[in-house]
Amino acid sequence: MADNINIEISPVSRVEGHGDLVINVKDKKIEELIFRIPESPRFFEAMLVGKKCDEPSHITSRICGICSVAHTCASIKATEKALNIKPSRQTINLRKLVYHHENIQSNVLHVYFLAAPDFFGAGSIIPLIKTHPEVVNIALRTKKMANDMVRIIGGRAVHPIRIVIGGFTKLPTEEEMLKMKKMLNACYTDLEKSLEVLKTINIPDFERETEYISISNKDEYAIYDGDIKSTDGWAINDQNYLDKIKEKIVKHSTSKHCWASRDSYMVGALARFNNNHEKLTENAREYASELGLEAPCYNPFMNNIAQFVEIVHSVDDSIRLIDRILADGLDEDKRMADIKEGAGRGVGVVEAPRGLLIHDYTYNNKGRIEKANLIIPTGMNYANIENDMKALVPAIIDKSEDEIKLACEMLVRAYDPCISCSTHFLNVKLINK
Amino acid sequence: MFFKDKNISDNDRYMKTEVTIIGFGNKYRSDDGIGIRVIEELKKLDSFKEVEVIDGGTSGTDLLFLAKECKKIIIIDAIDIGKDAGQVVCIKASDIEEFIKGDYKSLSLHDLNLCDVLKIIRELKIDTEILIIGVKPENIGFGESLTPEIEKKIPGIITRIKKEINL
Repeated sequence: MADNINIEISPVSRVEGHGDLVINVKDKKIEELIFRIPESPRFFEAMLVGKKCDEPSHITSRICGICSVAHTCASIKATEKALNIKPSRQTINLRKLVYHHENIQSNVLHVYFLAAPDFFGAGSIIPLIKTHPEVVNIALRTKKMANDMVRIIGGRAVHPIRIVIGGFTKLPTEEEMLKMKKMLNACYTDLEKSLEVLKTINIPDFERETEYISISNKDEYAIYDGDIKSTDGWAINDQNYLDKIKEKIVKHSTSKHCWASRDSYMVGALARFNNNHEKLTENAREYASELGLEAPCYNPFMNNIAQFVEIVHSVDDSIRLIDRILADGLDEDKRMADIKEGAGRGVGVVEAPRGLLIHDYTYNNKGRIEKANLIIPTGMNYANIENDMKALVPAIIDKSEDEIKLACEMLVRAYDPCISCSTHFLNVKLINK
Repeated sequence: MFFKDKNISDNDRYMKTEVTIIGFGNKYRSDDGIGIRVIEELKKLDSFKEVEVIDGGTSGTDLLFLAKECKKIIIIDAIDIGKDAGQVVCIKASDIEEFIKGDYKSLSLHDLNLCDVLKIIRELKIDTEILIIGVKPENIGFGESLTPEIEKKIPGIITRIKKEINL
């Protein structure tokens, strides 16, 4: 590799959306490094203004096909907080249950379909159908299981329609709950096989310590509810997110950059693991241990492993939730809470598969949204991806152009960016000067 | 009170019929929502009461599972194909190979694009008949409605679907 390089990856493939990576190196020093999002920003915040309380969750569900339950739940939580709607414990448990399965849907898509080709030296999942059919079949079976779970509870495999403010428009039956438990128990064999495969892959050896932020609570591995917690030692109530989470507009991107205690932070499965690993099920902790994932982990490439560990946790915890819901008995009287339109402000914070997701709505005295602020996990990770890249590129500067390009793309993919949520895809071209 | 219809769901009969019609797209990105708009219109028609009609949103991999379960799938989507905005292109089973080679961009399947999903279906040797009805969009910027040129294609698309499934 020459001392001077100009890398422009445009687009980086196998990420959700569209983006560019530009790296200029002179005398082995980075002169310019930009992770650029060229597409127009999402206008969902503007679209929400003037909407009544039963509309935002269905609108924001359409922001993304692979985070639709997360947007639905963040939206519902924001409205429920603003209008003081109190969903039943049954509703919360069912939301947590369906939430696990969007996490599985998304993590399977990323680990097996988008990241696995890197680890097997393939350009996409398609060659793996011939070379690693078992891996592809496991991916398909697990994704189908999660799809079916979301459909049974949410009414659709994507963009769920039964999950609404106050509760559910229809409850699953006891028979369906038992069917779901059977489906969950059936997937352990595939998880064990996946574990053996993942033990054989080489994760790039790269570490950069940063701030890791996720929600957290004392009772469980938080994905639906909790305070916002940082590995830098602070935790705040989710309603006060603005006290710590800051946003700024940067010239090269249509998505805002975020920071908290430092100039960047990471959200997502690895951040959740670093903050809440002790709350994982014992089984999931064993999988983590077998795969060499230990907290604190500062290797962003291990985000893929954290995602797999979360799949195991979600399967375990779903069985626990089903048992609890069935023990309590499905109660039609607890299906919907009372809803009264009115004024107020509420913040809904959840863990989308890619990390912290914030919806902040203010309703006016006509019961219409006056102001909406959405902060998307991929938007939070942009600045941290740039900082990782600034540390990674000098460390591999003596490698070939193709190797540098692949490493950069793999790093971006490790974050599982959903650029279409925060804006829209990533592009990489490498030119020697 | 809100949400009176507690049976709200469009997928209760998912995977039980021989023909499935699925629309893809984002209805908040103007013409990208053509697939979803057609599905919404089909749901209003009595003649489609017994037909599996699915709002696929923007999740492409689900098509793989439908392909495994259905004998025939009709896909409606905004696709960057054809010359002019509003052009409706029907890609029959015999033309799917050519479509895959063209690597045309489906505008809505952001997780795996339509060509990738079709390649996987082919590689997995899943035996299902696929018809794609693609519409070249005029505008895919943010917006809650189709451009008039695209909107007026809906009746013709519905007629084409009826003909395809002998309704």
